[in-house]
Amino acid sequence: MFEDLRRFDTGPFQGLDWVRQLMDGFFPESGIADIRSVPRGSYPMINVGHTDDGVYVYVFAAGLSAADLEVSLQDNVLTLRGKRETVAPEQKEGEAKRPYFRRERFSGEFARSIALPDGLNADLSEARFRNGVFEIHLPKREELKPRRIEIKAA
Amino acid sequence: MNEVTKKESTQEVANRQRREDALLPPVDIYEEDNALHLVADLPGVTRESLSIEVDSGVMSIEGEVQLDMPEGITATYAEVRAQRFARRFTLSHEIDAEAIEARVDNGVLHLVLPKQDSHRSRRIEVKAA
Repeated sequence: MFEDLRRFDTGPFQGLDWVRQLMDGFFPESGIADIRSVPRGSYPMINVGHTDDGVYVYVFAAGLSAADLEVSLQDNVLTLRGKRETVAPEQKEGEAKRPYFRRERFSGEFARSIALPDGLNADLSEARFRNGVFEIHLPKREELKPRRIEIKAA
Repeated sequence: MNEVTKKESTQEVANRQRREDALLPPVDIYEEDNALHLVADLPGVTRESLSIEVDSGVMSIEGEVQLDMPEGITATYAEVRAQRFARRFTLSHEIDAEAIEARVDNGVLHLVLPKQDSHRSRRIEVKAA
């Protein structure tokens, strides 16, 4: 059921991203990449988990407020859209451009899509936002939830 | 006896893993108003779970990701594979370590590192002779 999500597999070491990028430059990715896959470490990062009653999607979108992320679900594809402004653009008129020493944080518009398994109830899904992390809960349809079968004595 | 050694080794492994499994947060650093500003993305980190320390010219930022995940959740796909963020920076002597200010807002840390008075840029008036 989740095979199509496993194709997204990422490496374990986020900190070694630059090495990987370097190596990817030398040895371009072979094999089949998912059509919606993005380079590793793209903003926002996403974790997906599931329990018996549904799927949980965690979107690590620091710097967004609750209204800045648009979440939509169509044909089991969850799409996240939003825009993050650069921090504090308090540039006074006629002032020299302030010097930047590092610019690693993402700014601008983004859109990410992930394929989710069948059988989710989009109408009952809900999203919460806390400390820069969005939690999207998509419950399974009632008839797909695990169920206990009583054994009757003959 | 066996149990004790086993316990210790798992503890050590856990500690080592904790140290290794830290994400490197992306940062912006810019200079403004005689201060350096450092902006870091730490999604899921709260004010309580964040620690910023300055020790002999090295500033360490560490934050634990606080997520309420339901019981019995199984990961299907994960890009964030650690429970914490960590990054260290060397501060130059011109930074006034006592006056560093920090605030966290929606998972974004904003640090203001003011320069010491003696290092501030000042305008020098040219007097008419």
